[in-house]
Amino acid sequence: MSDPAKAEALTQLAQCRDEIERIDNQIVTLLSQRLALGKRTGELKRAAGLPILDPTREAAVIRRVTERARDAGLPSEAAREVFWQIVGMSRRAQEAKE
Amino acid sequence: MIIITRPHVTDAEIDHIRERIEAVGMRTHLSRGEVRTIIGCIGDESLLAEVPLRSLPGVESVTPVLKPYKLASREFAVDRTIVRVGGRDGQATFGGRSIAVIAGPCSVESREMLLDTAHFVRDAGATMLRGGAFKPRTSPYAFQGLGAKALELLAETRAATGLPVVTEVMDTRQVDLVAEHADMLQVGARNMQNFALLAELGHVQRPILLKRGLSATIKELLMAAEYIMANGNHDVVLCERGIRTYETATRNTLDIAAIPVLKRESHLPVIVDPSHAGGDADLVAPLAFAAIAAGADGLIVEVHPNPECALSDGDQSLAPPAFTQMMAQLGAFARAAGRELEVTGAPRAVA
Repeated sequence: MSDPAKAEALTQLAQCRDEIERIDNQIVTLLSQRLALGKRTGELKRAAGLPILDPTREAAVIRRVTERARDAGLPSEAAREVFWQIVGMSRRAQEAKE
Repeated sequence: MIIITRPHVTDAEIDHIRERIEAVGMRTHLSRGEVRTIIGCIGDESLLAEVPLRSLPGVESVTPVLKPYKLASREFAVDRTIVRVGGRDGQATFGGRSIAVIAGPCSVESREMLLDTAHFVRDAGATMLRGGAFKPRTSPYAFQGLGAKALELLAETRAATGLPVVTEVMDTRQVDLVAEHADMLQVGARNMQNFALLAELGHVQRPILLKRGLSATIKELLMAAEYIMANGNHDVVLCERGIRTYETATRNTLDIAAIPVLKRESHLPVIVDPSHAGGDADLVAPLAFAAIAAGADGLIVEVHPNPECALSDGDQSLAPPAFTQMMAQLGAFARAAGRELEVTGAPRAVA
């Protein structure tokens, strides 16, 4: 590879990494928003006398995101794993009392 | 419990089946083959009593898995698992048609010694390098390994030779550091039932080499693999390394039967460590040949440039000429077993 081409590739690589960092920051923000809603859901479930653990709801959430991930061309098994982690994180937030 | 789907099952049908299972609080694992797909159910199976699994669209049959291990069991996977180690610089494959040979010193002793050994074993046909950084020694006064320094040397040697590296991790606190430097993480025999460590290794993005404990049954080995897999890491290679028996002429007794039994019980690749099994350099080649004949997917062998001066396990380390000779003979055993020795596709030395 010629030096100008290499320099150009390195510049673009740095730009891609900046963009990835920006998206990672957004993901963190979205996760904290999701977790805050999870906590609120937990309070509401308690107020309504409902159990915190709701496997039927969790399974429906996973199914929905699996379909969306597949439609978006993502590897759906990997996306499921990510969302099971998120669902678990949210459930633990719901279980934690103030 | 496993659910075998009809041929040409749709994604929507699979999603629906999994949702019904997960709605009772269980988890599912998918294994897709060309024709068949298997949905494995993980968790308390009594929860499924009320779910009419057999009548769900796309379901062909439902079979209970009676073994305590699920993800590791042969029934859970349509095809045998192939574990690929390494990446940019070079790759080793476990569980395919080819047989991978991991070789290197028991412990990393110095940069020069590691580089020399690595170049040598690569030229003799090994596709992966081993080298201990943290050593679990019976005596607290024996050489304990170079630790973090050895990890850096291993990474440097990989860059120089193109050989992916495997090294042992002994403690949950070391997992991130070792994963940063090594391509594959080894759980030593003495840690096979260190469940905190196994669970931690379930979360790393590196294949795991799981050695059978010196007094562990095959079932216990598979349960240890299950621990790693249940925590999310499905790239596990099992390693038979000899078990403790009443025999004192050898360091351990190589359990040859464990190879076909493990391959019957599990879809995971199985390799053999003939160095620790025999504890004697003269026994390494015959045990290696027997392992390949019995269906092993690879070997892990200790090689030292000068075994007499080795800081650990000198008695069982092969000197370079003996390793070359063994590798020259190994191909014939591989072919007799319908296999071939792995040839690395990696670019050769860049150092």
